[in-house]
Parts: sequence; structure tokens; C-alpha cells
Amino acid sequence: MIERDVRLFFQYKFLVIMRAIWFVSQIALFGVIAANMVSVPDYFRYYVGGLSVMTLYSTAIFIGFDIYEEAEHGVFEYLLSLPVSRKQLVVGRSIGGGLRAFIYVGPLVAVSLFVIGGINPINFVIALFALFLFSFGVSGMSIAIAVSIKSSDRFDILMGVLDALIVRLSTTMYPLAIIQKTNPLYGWTAGLNPLSYAADLFRWSTGVEDIAQNVQNPLLPLLGIVIFFGLFTFLGITIYERLIEGGGWR
Amino acid sequence: MDIEEGEILGLLGPNGAGKTTTILMLATVIKPSEGTAIVGEYDVRSHPEKVRGLLGIAFQEPKMLWVSTPWDVINWHAKVCGLSTSDRKQRVKQILDAVDMWDARNKNIHALSGGMRKRVEVAKVLVQRPKVAIVDEPTAQIDIVGKHKIWNMLLELRDEGSTIILATNELYEADRLSDRVGILHRGKLLVCGTPKELKDSILGGDLVDVESGQSIPAQTVTDLKSLKEVVDVMQVKPTSLRLYLNKVEEVVPQIVSLSSKGGVPISSIRMSEPSLDDVFAHYTGLTIEQAQKDEG
Repeated sequence: MIERDVRLFFQYKFLVIMRAIWFVSQIALFGVIAANMVSVPDYFRYYVGGLSVMTLYSTAIFIGFDIYEEAEHGVFEYLLSLPVSRKQLVVGRSIGGGLRAFIYVGPLVAVSLFVIGGINPINFVIALFALFLFSFGVSGMSIAIAVSIKSSDRFDILMGVLDALIVRLSTTMYPLAIIQKTNPLYGWTAGLNPLSYAADLFRWSTGVEDIAQNVQNPLLPLLGIVIFFGLFTFLGITIYERLIEGGGWR
Repeated sequence: MDIEEGEILGLLGPNGAGKTTTILMLATVIKPSEGTAIVGEYDVRSHPEKVRGLLGIAFQEPKMLWVSTPWDVINWHAKVCGLSTSDRKQRVKQILDAVDMWDARNKNIHALSGGMRKRVEVAKVLVQRPKVAIVDEPTAQIDIVGKHKIWNMLLELRDEGSTIILATNELYEADRLSDRVGILHRGKLLVCGTPKELKDSILGGDLVDVESGQSIPAQTVTDLKSLKEVVDVMQVKPTSLRLYLNKVEEVVPQIVSLSSKGGVPISSIRMSEPSLDDVFAHYTGLTIEQAQKDEG
């Protein structure tokens, strides 16, 4: 199941290429221009660090769209008839969705690192592990939402809104101190956002985090990501089993 | 309704009769609204995972994403069903070859015709060799040569020990392959038996045309009518009769004997058995075409 989902994603060549172009454009255009506009020192490197996590998030979300594609082609019925348990099916899909996002983002992270500069090897391994779990968690969340909503149009719209909220209310694009200064509620939300944890840990591993000082103790965002992963993997399995078993997706 | 181990059970019925719904319930893809089914020794409601372990299914509509190739589809299916790497590669090649899809194995599914996709769908079950194979209209859209190949492969699968549930609205297919046939109509099982039992169950379903070189006397007609298997005798011409009867193979010797006793020389006897079309029409009161129109 994992292998299938990974291979399937890379067969959507158009999507893969477009995402890469989007990523490079964000760095070369938005990042460069915004860095000249804002007063945060070295904002360009800060933004590039966050962009890798944003891309990881939006790629891991894609598994939900796959579920609708499969429902439309009747592949869902086929998957449900296979000699595997529903748990294996959803965990496999969650890992597959997360893993393919991770593999896809790999070269983009390399580009980011090239732009950002040096890394701390030990911190980087810890950050990679966290991003790995984060990716699975996002994938599980996407599956849970896709199965619950049962309409590709609604899913598309909801994910657009969710993307706007989750990404904007995180530290991917701006330091936590600035968010808190703007609105304490925004700051509180960003402080609990798994996207913030992932972005902060990634920057922490590259040394860019010193710019914003979002991370006082790396264990806290790491713990946040572990909780996020556990919660959405569990939710994904539970919702999938409950709603899918016996034709509930229809 | 019971399905014996190692038999091919044909589920016959027009579109909308409930064949696919029955299959999806057996495959634990949908839950029965009431009642249940036992596959092997497992209940589809309480042990769906165990049931899926015994089943393989080839769906009516081929289920594959357009980005895949036939090789990917069958190889992945075989892998999920637990075939070892060495066995798998050999078997996938053998099956794709057997369903004439080897040359097209690396083509995108999107580029395949409906018949080719259907072959790939059936190949899933053939490569898996499950304990219980369910095939839903396995030869729809497939040319006649391909149909015969798939029929032979399904018979081989049965001979290797698989139980096969064949859902079809092709009467000839059901007649040719099935050890027993169940007729479904509007979600109800009307009758189930061997094709022969079903054909014999139609009162007067067999037809015998008797020709004589001379006029057939009334007494011979009366004698023939008195045979218990004979439902009706129609004098078409003074020298020919048409008999509506059951169990034609048992009655023909009696016809010959009665005619010879009455001094009526028989120049020809032509027999015809009812087809499953007649059986279907008998039990539903509709021809397949009418039933399909009715459902549509």
C-alpha cells in the first residue's frame, strides 16, 4: 500500500513539476521581494526555511485528493475488497501519503539548505525525524477529512480555507514575536500550530532559528509534533474504519 | 442459498437484479441491510477480514487508476495477495500472456480499450487464485476468442479448487460455465439449480417434432397425450405432430415405441431443449431484453 501510494504520486508528473516550479518561484520571487520589504533581519533565509515545511504540508495533504480520485474510478471498492485489514489499509495510506511528501520535498529541502547555508548535523537529524512524523500526521488528517466530507468539491474548498488558516497562523512566514505583537490570539494559535513546530525545528537545525528565537526548548515542538502525529493517525484509523466499513463512503 | 465448495455458481439476472450488490456484500465492501452470509466458515458481518482473506474479485467495471499500467495493476494485486517475489513475476507474466495483455503490459490504462481493461480486471483473480473467486460479467466487452480463453481459464481455476461465483446477464455464458445457476430478479433469488434441473423444471419446456410417412391416427395422439411427461400434443399436419413435454431423453424412446405399436412409421424426430432464456422467461415472466427495459 505504501509503495503504491508513493509510486502513484510520482506518476502525476504534471503535479510534481508544477509544485517544484511553485517552490522555486516562491523562493526566487516572493522570498527575495518580501525580504527587501520587511524589517526582520535575514528574513529571506527565515522564509526559505518555512517554505520547505509549507510544501511538505501541501504535498502530504494530496492523499485526500487521491481518495476522491479512487472513489470516482471505483478503485475504492477494489481497495476495500483486498485481503488486508482496514487498519493496515489506512495506516499504509497514511504512511504512503507522508512518505511520498517527504521524498518529494527532499530535493526541495536540499535547495533550501543551499540557500540557507550550514546545518547542525545532529539537530538536522532530529528535525528530519520530526518532519517525517509531521508528514504522516498531515496525511492522516487529510484522509480523516476526505472520508468524513465525502465530496471532492467541499474537500477542495475546505482544504483551501484550512491551508489559509493553518499556514497563515503559523511561524512558517513570520516570527512568533511579531504574530503575538499583532494579536495575542493569533500568537497563541500559532504557538499551538504543528506547522509552527515543524518550521521552527527545521530552522533550529539550520541555525536560522536564531533570527526569530521562536524555539526556547526544541523538545516542546518535537513533543507537539509527536502528539499531532499520534492524534491524527489514530483519528484517521478510527474515522476510516467507522465510515468506510460496510459501504459508509457511498 | 448455499454454494458448494469447488463449484461455479452462475448468478443470472438483468441489470439491476441485485447481482453486483450481492457480490459487494460477500466481498464485505458493503454491509447487508438485513440477513448475513457465511464465506468459508466466516460471517461477513462479524469477520469481514477473514472473509476477505478467502476472496478474490473481478469487478464489473475495471477498477484501476488511469496512471497505472497492466503490469503495475496485476503485479501490485499479486503482491498484496501475498504471492512471493519469484512466484509473482512468473505468474503475472503467465496470466498477462494468457489474457493477451503481455504486449500491452506497459501501456497506460488510459490508452486501453474497454475489452483490454476488462481482461486486466479478470487477470487479477486469475493471478490470485483465491479460495472463492467472484467474477462479475467477466467477458463483457471482450471479443469471442477472448471470451473462450477466459471461460477456459475460469474452468481451470475451478478445477484447481476455487469456488467461483459468476455474475452474468449472458445466458450462454452461465449455461456453459455454471455447475448451478441462481436466477435473481429485483433483488430476490427466484430459483437455483443445475442448468439441466432448471430447464427440466419448465413444464412442457422440451419440444419434439415427429414426422411420419403416413397419416397419424387419433388413437396414437391420445396414447402420446397419456404419457405423464407429455404436456400437450399438437397435430401440425396429418403426418406431423409437435409434442410439448418434459425430460425429452426419457420420452423419446416411448414415442418411438407407441408409434411402432400403432403402426405409424416415423421418418424423423427433431428435439430441442429449452435454453436458459426460456428458464429466465419462465421464472420472471419476462425475456432478458424485456427485463432490462423494465429495469431501465
